[in-house]
Amino acid sequence: MADEQAPQAPPAPAAPSAPSGHSAGPGGPGRFGPRPQGGRPGGPGGPKRGKRSFIRKKKVCRFCVDKSDYIDYKRAEILAPFLQERGKILPRRMTGTCARHQRWLTVAIKRAQNIALLPFAAEL
Amino acid sequence: MEERQYDLIFICRPDTPEPDIDKIIATVEHAATEKGGKIEKTEKWGRKRMAYRVQRMREGYYVFMLLRSTHGEVVKELERRLKVADPVIKYLTIRVDEELKRQEKLKRHREKRAARRPRKTAPAPAVPSSGEHAAAQS
Repeated sequence: MADEQAPQAPPAPAAPSAPSGHSAGPGGPGRFGPRPQGGRPGGPGGPKRGKRSFIRKKKVCRFCVDKSDYIDYKRAEILAPFLQERGKILPRRMTGTCARHQRWLTVAIKRAQNIALLPFAAEL
Repeated sequence: MEERQYDLIFICRPDTPEPDIDKIIATVEHAATEKGGKIEKTEKWGRKRMAYRVQRMREGYYVFMLLRSTHGEVVKELERRLKVADPVIKYLTIRVDEELKRQEKLKRHREKRAARRPRKTAPAPAVPSSGEHAAAQS
């Protein structure tokens, strides 16, 4: 421990005079700390910019955020945002739902449709 | 055979008087117990707008029931009764025990993982605090 502290002490007085060198040390872990909690936006697909100039925001599965283990077909109000206006089920690429939850979601939607909680197709 | 759990929902005509609905619920419960099943819960959701027209009706009186049974014949019998009941315009029985089991399993798994390594909260404050220590020493 004494060995560790000894090398740290000498640059410490120098830190205020030369902030570019040492201040990145304590600042670095501080900045990286909250990153894994933020839904890993810097992961693959994050800063990927091809020919198109716009940056696509990474969508997060809403059910993973809620940590839901079961999607209840009886609650039509939580299923409704995953339907198009005409009653089609929105694809994963539109909503950002993960594969597992999309699988449960489609089952829940189809059950709700059968008991007239959700439409098969919007009436005109 | 292990016990199974079902959701039973039926929709009555919106103009059905309340006593008639209670009568249907009573007959369903009676038939279920007679066949060895058990109605655990009955919820009257009341008149709701349906997502599409059923027999030219836009509204319906929803009744939800939770059924437990070891025999599949209970469901058959209940569906037969609902089919012949005049005010009932739609019904649906869904087996839910397997999904509830899955839900339980995932929940237990998650709790176990959370107990084993409380990662989410521990390192995040630890790292900035060490940085603070370094700053404090300086």
